[in-house]
Amino acid sequence: MGRPRFRLTRTRRQALTGILFTLPFAVGFVLFFLYPFLQSIRFSMSQLQIVAGGYRLEPVGLANYRTALLVHPEFLQVFVEAVFRTLVDVPLIVVFAFFAANLLNQPFKGRTLARVVFFLPVIMGAGIILQMESADYMMTQLRSAANEGGLLSGAVLRNFLYELRIPEATLDYVTSAVDRIPEIIRASGVQILVFLAGLQSIPGSLYEAADVEGFTSWERFWLITLPMLSPLILTNAVYTIIDSFTVGTNPLVKLVRSTAFGGGGFGLSSAMGVLYFLSIAVILLIAGSIISRFVFYDN
Amino acid sequence: MQIRQKRLTRSAGGDFVIFFVLFLGAAFSALPLVFAISNAFKPLNELFLFPPQFFVRNPTFDNFRDLFVLMGESWVPISRYLFNTVFITVAGTGGHVLMASMAAYVLAKHRFPGRDVFFAMVVLSLMFAYQVTAIPNYLTMSALGWLDTYAAIIVPAWSSSLGLFLMKQFMEQINDSLIEAARIDGASEFHIFWRVVMPNVKPAWLTLIILSFQSLWNETGGRFIYSEELKTLPYALNQIIQGGVARAGVGAAVGVIMMIVPIAVFVLNQSKVVQTMGAAGINK
Repeated sequence: MGRPRFRLTRTRRQALTGILFTLPFAVGFVLFFLYPFLQSIRFSMSQLQIVAGGYRLEPVGLANYRTALLVHPEFLQVFVEAVFRTLVDVPLIVVFAFFAANLLNQPFKGRTLARVVFFLPVIMGAGIILQMESADYMMTQLRSAANEGGLLSGAVLRNFLYELRIPEATLDYVTSAVDRIPEIIRASGVQILVFLAGLQSIPGSLYEAADVEGFTSWERFWLITLPMLSPLILTNAVYTIIDSFTVGTNPLVKLVRSTAFGGGGFGLSSAMGVLYFLSIAVILLIAGSIISRFVFYDN
Repeated sequence: MQIRQKRLTRSAGGDFVIFFVLFLGAAFSALPLVFAISNAFKPLNELFLFPPQFFVRNPTFDNFRDLFVLMGESWVPISRYLFNTVFITVAGTGGHVLMASMAAYVLAKHRFPGRDVFFAMVVLSLMFAYQVTAIPNYLTMSALGWLDTYAAIIVPAWSSSLGLFLMKQFMEQINDSLIEAARIDGASEFHIFWRVVMPNVKPAWLTLIILSFQSLWNETGGRFIYSEELKTLPYALNQIIQGGVARAGVGAAVGVIMMIVPIAVFVLNQSKVVQTMGAAGINK
């Protein structure tokens, strides 16, 4: 008490802690993510010219955006397709990952091996391995066979469901989902892992209490597991949306890249990137606000 | 007298259906790996057999031997490439987990000016494919003088937004009373973070380690690193397999070697997760 020391108020101290803890992350973030991002918005409104000793930007206003939307032959079509595809895939991936994680969390022999198998697509999807695969004839065959849906054909299912008088829109969704099973499994490795981590973070005491109260497995799932995992459903939905939009094989990402380093110029490419970014932001905002209504926080 | 109670449990038939579906999914994922391993042990004549065979008939270690011979001939010793990759992966992953967790902790559990804006920006930055920011990013590196140094790969990995996002979501689940209790006991903020918060989100950061390791292990450093002695293992192995058709067998061997390490890390990591679960039961 007697120390002649500068004392901070509680709020100030909290603020200081907050800033100190965020700082190491924030420095890199600002330098390598925020600044390049703002730069590319600037590029999108300019014409980039390479001159001796560097580059020069000539402001052109919204011309690049106009070109992307109204003049470019492919952009709009690829754009709409990419957005639509994501909207179809995201719920499927999240739901699949959720149930797969629940199963992989059960105690059974060879569980770690089973987890490895579901994480394999993430490992095999990495740069160098993918390159080798694409160079391999049989691997290409294998992949395309898997993509054609050799397992369950959507068309067969469609006929069957049609007999059951299921509405056309639902029908289309289900059949397209069946055709994409291999892709969905391949895209859910990280999500399964996140859900697994979530399942392991649920305090064991909750389940013990439930056992004492005589919960059935059904009640345990709906009253403990699902609410406790709900924040991660939001996390995974966000991750899936972002992943499917930014993965290198996404046709629009390819278009952005080929425009930048091919013919169209960096300004146009940046404009496409920004448009795409805005549409993801809108989708995320909508999805986020829908899902967060069902999210339960334990505080 | 014994009370007989019919318990609602899953039927064996239901279990079978569920595991059958899981197995089909697993088969889809595992097939390419099995094929890649089988390929790595094929002699050259089997690799080019038409129609291709899925399984190897006369397994041989020739491909691996050739790979080591090629490695030995490389101008920069292969151990140097290996060191570079291990260094980048360990430094990048360690720093990322620490920094992202620290930031996530205060974003989840503290109130300070600019917090919400900062988090919103992090989420926004997740949406940006790196292709879009490639050129500005290069210019930043060049201005900092970090081109052709480890820092060009490691420092951006520290601040990758995904880790922060993930850790924050997990840390929000921690009960505030736990942190309050530690604070009343006089723990410093860093102590609370390190001793209270982090052990409680162990599954989360173990997951983050896997994700970060996976991406850095495969880093070729192609955009930022030019000096041969600073290049990474994936880059060197890529060079080897670019040698054309004759290197097909070596390429298969390379693939297996590159995959083994992340798989081993994954297995090790997941066995740790199971221990966490046990520990949590005792603590609570």
